[in-house]
Amino acid sequence: MTQETIGEQIGKIVIVGHVDHGKSTLLGRILMDCGQIPEDRIAYVQKICQDKGVVFEPAFFLDALQEEQEQGISIDTTRVRFEFNDRRFVLIDAPGHIEFLKNMATGASEAELGILVLDCQEGIRAQTTRHLKILSVLGITNVVAVVNKLDKIGYDQEKFERLSEEIRAEIAQEKLNCVAVVPISALNGENIVSVSKNFPWYFGQALLPLIDSQHATLTVQAKSSAPFRMLLQDVYKFDDERYFAGRVVSGKITPGTQIFFSPSGKMAKVEAIVQFPNKRLPEAVSGDSIALILSDQIFVERGEIISFPNQIPETDNEIRAQIAWVSTHPFDPDNEYLVKIGTNESYCKITMPESNHLESEMFADLANLANGTFAHVVLKAKKPLAYDHSSQSGLVSNLVICSKYETVAFGSIEGKSQEASKAVAIDRNVTCETGYVERTEFEREKKHKGTVLWLTGLSGAGKSTLAKKLQRQFFEQGMQAVVLDGDNLRHGLCAGLGFSREDRAENIRRVAQAAKLFLDTGTIVIVAVISPYAKDRELAKQIIGAQDFNEVFVFCPMEVCEERDPKGLYAKAKDGKLPSFSGRDMPYQPPQEPALRLDSSKMTVEEEMKAITQLLAGRGFSFGETQTVVQQKATTKS
Amino acid sequence: MNDYLSRLENESVFIIREAYKKTKNLAMLWSMGKDSTVLMHLVRKAFLGHCPITLVHIDTSYKIPEMITWRDQFVKDNNLKLIVGQNKKALEEGMNPEMGRLTCCGALKTQALLDTIAEHKIQALLLGIRRDEEGSRGKERVVSPRVDSASWTYKDQPAELWNFYNLHLPEEVHLRIHPLLQWTELDIWEYIRQEEIEVMPLYFAENGKRYRSLGCAPCTGTIDSQAKTIDDIITELKSTKTGERAGRAQDKVDTYAMQKLRQVGYM
Repeated sequence: MTQETIGEQIGKIVIVGHVDHGKSTLLGRILMDCGQIPEDRIAYVQKICQDKGVVFEPAFFLDALQEEQEQGISIDTTRVRFEFNDRRFVLIDAPGHIEFLKNMATGASEAELGILVLDCQEGIRAQTTRHLKILSVLGITNVVAVVNKLDKIGYDQEKFERLSEEIRAEIAQEKLNCVAVVPISALNGENIVSVSKNFPWYFGQALLPLIDSQHATLTVQAKSSAPFRMLLQDVYKFDDERYFAGRVVSGKITPGTQIFFSPSGKMAKVEAIVQFPNKRLPEAVSGDSIALILSDQIFVERGEIISFPNQIPETDNEIRAQIAWVSTHPFDPDNEYLVKIGTNESYCKITMPESNHLESEMFADLANLANGTFAHVVLKAKKPLAYDHSSQSGLVSNLVICSKYETVAFGSIEGKSQEASKAVAIDRNVTCETGYVERTEFEREKKHKGTVLWLTGLSGAGKSTLAKKLQRQFFEQGMQAVVLDGDNLRHGLCAGLGFSREDRAENIRRVAQAAKLFLDTGTIVIVAVISPYAKDRELAKQIIGAQDFNEVFVFCPMEVCEERDPKGLYAKAKDGKLPSFSGRDMPYQPPQEPALRLDSSKMTVEEEMKAITQLLAGRGFSFGETQTVVQQKATTKS
Repeated sequence: MNDYLSRLENESVFIIREAYKKTKNLAMLWSMGKDSTVLMHLVRKAFLGHCPITLVHIDTSYKIPEMITWRDQFVKDNNLKLIVGQNKKALEEGMNPEMGRLTCCGALKTQALLDTIAEHKIQALLLGIRRDEEGSRGKERVVSPRVDSASWTYKDQPAELWNFYNLHLPEEVHLRIHPLLQWTELDIWEYIRQEEIEVMPLYFAENGKRYRSLGCAPCTGTIDSQAKTIDDIITELKSTKTGERAGRAQDKVDTYAMQKLRQVGYM
């Protein structure tokens, strides 16, 4: 076989199922029938079987440990390569006993496809169901079921079809996709490589041809279109160059790209992607272990998730997850647990969500969380962790939980905790229930509508200047307008907040809440805050309400801002006195679709004001001579 | 670049970088064989051409003489830091394979390794073992903690999910880290060809014989082969029906010989 004919992608397949349903036998049989086992190894297993006085057992190729062969069980997982139709596969054997569940999960965590083995004489048993659940938590979506040992029941078609229906239902229950159900005899090697004449009633494909033909659709394809994620492992300094080493989890990256670090919130530009020996790569894709050289001197450490600024992961201290407990030590409320996501980790408290619904008998509450049980938990981490939601498969949505020196559980992230996501919802409820003087009444009284102009942009872009002029203009036209200026608010309402990622989010939340209060009195609110993060502005939009939130991007090139530097901040930042200054060390994420984009390096303030007037006119506002129309309308309405 | 080799390489580099970041006093066991030579190459990939990890060679004094000559030249050429470990006491007392192969391996390899680990306070050791070498290695984890001296608790190995390696361990625990676990013998040779890695000449056939696996002279046999180049070796491996360690005597002493050796700390 030449190299060119070998399939490029290796499909990793895990074989799961209940104890003694024939997982290792199937695996040994596949290897033998594909000619992957050296003759001396076959002779060696034959000799062991003879010595033990048992029939030839293909499982012994995998169950190599003395205890495994003596007791006829698999204790630990192993992996073997085989080739079929010029395609390479890795088969992962997983033990069926619940005592060895952590070994099963260890093996299965690498797989892209599951083969579920079911003994036709026993049907669905405890580990059949548990293994399916494990596959589901691991994020493996496709399962091929095989009904084994049909030779023992005279190739009974009726029995097969009944079991086939049952197992399909069980697989669907776990929201997994059942690719096919194949009747086999692993011991005799029937329906493995080709369909046996003992199954005249079976019209499907044999197991291996089936997997081979479905391969392309079954295995996870590295999607270069997926959002870019890279795990930062370490920062090296060699030969006066700093290398940011790590692995690309998804998407792709090219030199010259602006990148964002989570949870620190820092930003930098990629100068080069390097790999020994002295190769500068034009791009790096999912799976690549690379090192980046950055154009900017920033300080970041292991644990960051690197992304593009417009596709950043979530960052939170409280995370909801579905977990599988795989330790013989049950959950201990007095214990400190270490949660790991990507290359980041933090000690955390494990708690239950407020409304804890146990989906099935395999689910437990904290008091009963022990080996082989599952739970929905809220992890309260000591420091913020960046993550992706598990619905975005292939990103950074897996976690493990360690107790001291042992991995006790693993899981998939379901999102931020309900408590955190409630923050917005509660605000909504409160505004609904005020019931004092209605906003429409205020608007009628003031003879104009209320709205929010959210001016975002770099420091020195001209937000405050524009805000002052706008307020003056509205005032002269008899309209009521208030300015919420970021710098001024930090002296009062937001005093005590710093410039960390969390404090910046809180700052924006408070500004948005204040804007909302004014809005409810029919006031025009002019907000002038840098608001560098898209996520925070999104939250502000939610608090204020999309229909009243007018995002105005006051753009100005950094060089011009630096030159203007009305507050002397750029000078300070340059001297390293402002470590978290937006646009330099900290990122500024420009709005993707602002209601209005103003370029203050090219427009005069008057032109900017005109553009805003037009924007508001489009929103039903009237100015100058047409103002009376609004008045009349308002009057007729009442 | 060949896609599946690149996948293996990326995986190994990730493991090496994790080990280097998370463990104290990391060393690498280097036997000068093809696997440890590939491992060395991957270490340099991980660290942009540098080798910030100390090499450890366990010298039984029975190694094939060419191996030692090659070792010293390689270390000199590449400016590497090497620790040579040897069980001098056992050698003085006349330890040799005649006293029993497993006894000899235990004293001159396992014990020498444990002494070296203790003497140099090595917390973690990179080893180039592969799952396809023999059955008990097939059951290994990428990161294998050895709690009591060096014993392998193969009946109760820790969970190792996805790429989350358990490198967070108490000081007294010694770790065996296996970045090449997923590789096969064929992968090793295809990678050597692709990366143009220098390997020991003993692997190439002379007078119809070559070494497929290198160990101590008394216990390592040659195989019949005409393979004079890396390409020849790859072609040979693709058609062979014998296992890689067929020339290794210690595996054959009893059915579970390797498991027994490895349980008490053998590589």
